[in-house]
Amino acid sequence: MGLTSRHSSRFTPIDFIADDTGLVARVQALLDDVEPDRAQMLEALHRIQHELGYVPKEAIPFLAAKFKTTPAMIYGVLTFYSEIRTEPPPRVEVQWCSGPACLLKGSRNIRLALEAEFGCGMNESAPDGALGLRLVQCDGTCHLAPLVRLNGRYIGPLTVTDAIQLARRLKEEARRA
Amino acid sequence: MAAPLEAYRRLQEAARPVWEAVARPERPLFRVAVATCTRAAGADETLAALREELSRRGAEADVLIVGCPGLCFADPVVDVHLPGLPRVLYGRVTADQVPRLLDAVLGEARVLPELALGVVLYEEERMEGYRGTPVEGLPDLAQSDWMRLQVRRLMANVGHVGAEEIDHYIARGGYEGLAKALSMTPEEVIKEVLDSGLWGRGGAAFPTGRKWDFLRQARGSPKYLICNADEGDPGAFVNRSLMEGDPHLLIEGMLIAAWATGASYGYIYIRDEYPLPVERMRKAVEQARERGLLGENVLGSGLSCDLEVVRGAGSYVCGEETGLISSLEDVRGMPKIRPPYPAQAGVFAKPTNVNNVESYANVPLILRHGAGWYASVGSERNKGTKMFSLSGQVQRVGVLEVPLGTPVRDVIMVAGGGPPEGRKLKGLQPGGPLSGVAPASRILAQDGLPLEPEPFREIGMLMGAGGLVVLDDSSCVVDLALYFEWFAEDESCGRCTTCFGGTRRLQEMLRRISEGGGRPEDVPLMRLLPDAMRNANCAHGQAAPTIILSLLDLFQDELQEHLVRKRCPAKACRGLVRYEVVAQDEALPRAADICPTQAIVKEDGSYRIDQARCIRCNACKEVAPQAIAVLDRFAEQA
Repeated sequence: MGLTSRHSSRFTPIDFIADDTGLVARVQALLDDVEPDRAQMLEALHRIQHELGYVPKEAIPFLAAKFKTTPAMIYGVLTFYSEIRTEPPPRVEVQWCSGPACLLKGSRNIRLALEAEFGCGMNESAPDGALGLRLVQCDGTCHLAPLVRLNGRYIGPLTVTDAIQLARRLKEEARRA
Repeated sequence: MAAPLEAYRRLQEAARPVWEAVARPERPLFRVAVATCTRAAGADETLAALREELSRRGAEADVLIVGCPGLCFADPVVDVHLPGLPRVLYGRVTADQVPRLLDAVLGEARVLPELALGVVLYEEERMEGYRGTPVEGLPDLAQSDWMRLQVRRLMANVGHVGAEEIDHYIARGGYEGLAKALSMTPEEVIKEVLDSGLWGRGGAAFPTGRKWDFLRQARGSPKYLICNADEGDPGAFVNRSLMEGDPHLLIEGMLIAAWATGASYGYIYIRDEYPLPVERMRKAVEQARERGLLGENVLGSGLSCDLEVVRGAGSYVCGEETGLISSLEDVRGMPKIRPPYPAQAGVFAKPTNVNNVESYANVPLILRHGAGWYASVGSERNKGTKMFSLSGQVQRVGVLEVPLGTPVRDVIMVAGGGPPEGRKLKGLQPGGPLSGVAPASRILAQDGLPLEPEPFREIGMLMGAGGLVVLDDSSCVVDLALYFEWFAEDESCGRCTTCFGGTRRLQEMLRRISEGGGRPEDVPLMRLLPDAMRNANCAHGQAAPTIILSLLDLFQDELQEHLVRKRCPAKACRGLVRYEVVAQDEALPRAADICPTQAIVKEDGSYRIDQARCIRCNACKEVAPQAIAVLDRFAEQA
């Protein structure tokens, strides 16, 4: 093991993965030009997530072969980064900003209310899988604190009442859908 | 003239007409700030509405996309430049305001005073020169409370030049610093940077020139440059603002560093939360390559260097330089054990230099104007300017650039307008989760707590990379400390027990205290842990308990209230408050309706709160402020 802690791949079981859903073929097509030791791991993960919405576990052996490392190392990378998902996202996701400006302006109240309304915790999906909550980091849109993001749109400054009404509207829409 | 300077002059000649067309437009020019912050407030909709409305009216006008000029509190902002008049910056121009704005500026009035933030004057212009014109009576933006403390050098282009226009940057003197550097020896460039007094803006404040010299003298090739644009401190967004508003400044800085150090390849590592800076930087790299400013034989000088933008994936420790390096090496972004230092064995075990965005961005200015000019602002000990992002419980939120040594009191009270109406300043949280909280008494002291590293170090914390989060008296430092220890544990890479275990232990203790289970022996325990945590490998674990020391040393009274009297003076610790119905009024049915846990129950014609169900989310208090009171949980029943 050198200074870059690279593991040589002794066993790359890609050929033995059943590709019933065609997932591996899709992943493979995305990563044609990706090479190890070129700082392209995150790029590879982003491409997969962009295409599929998450990085499925079926991609792990393929990534290991691609980056000449072990599936365990790939699993380690996948689970290290909070923005890489290993499960499909819910259909509608309320993203709750965890930053300090939001915190000081009452974001924790909003979080409690959203969790109670949705019946799920942070980074979880409601039992029917339609709605979910996700904790996101501050991106410096603090003039809108406290805020949540929904489908890429920022909603803020929010009162707790606003947040509850938003949650109820989303629940109603999910029920009708 | 040396070859690079000559090649540069040719580029500049070609770029000048492109800039002149927007500097003194012959028909109305609308600069729309499209940045992460303005977009959040609806800038995309404003832009679309503006384009549609202009074409609907058949108006002869142009639209230019620029970065955010830093007045986030007034987003979305639009700058209107009419021929013959100075530029006027308008705030809160949401899409629905666009017709009204156009009616005014394209009509008789030519200005819309209700939305005007102020007049943007070029250096040689004066308000007096516009007496008798429609802008008379509007304030000069540079004299406003937000702007008057500021000296904008790094931000000189932000909000002025097109965010995706390399020609604007070049015409305004951009890449001249590079051309000058390429006409000097690497040693001379490093000496110039050393003479300027520039130190690393990422938080550690190490002299940039010395860092470069380490890489220049390092053996091994290729040599790499890394720009740390992982700006992970929640509440810090200065790098984002600069990359969105003036991306070429960073590229030029990195190219000068490449020449000075002998590096041939550079990575710009931008956090995942910043998709727009990724997009703008990639475009800028592409443009620089097209102009021969990047790649083989830059400006005919023999320098060959290329840059690549890498997008992170959500990890705070990847802002630690060796964590960032690990992240580039296809493995978990775990900080490494030093030595070897990056200059000896960095990315892919090759010599590497890592600097913050702002550190690189200062260098073109130093080379263009000279170290003497650079050092002409700042304090006795610290030269130059620094960008800060002001947020939290303050009236105006945004990005500023002030000379080092500017009192933070003035930044909060003048630029920021102080805490919200009816609130008192309680403190300041500078530099992110690994720093502490400065109390109001220190901020309001004679010197106003100058913004430079030393005064912050004296009170046991870091000034940090630019985040300034203001606290008013509705906040609680115990609560904030709990949040920071949660953050530090959540983002710990897991290598050192002192870090992930220490932050976990501190969290448990703080949670207990914030729920009324504090014990006197918690104080010595809280002192012991930071000592042990200093043994962590990287700054993340070492500095995670900084806020605990602030709590123990600077906010003892507040801590004692929690420990001894089991109450939170600010009523921010959820475990120490309870909600009660104190009066029956007509708002209560609505409060019962909004309660997400049906905790407000009606019995015998009157409402009360079922404490077992109440999650203390405050929704009922918002709806029925007179009927509901927040009481100390452990106080006698009212």
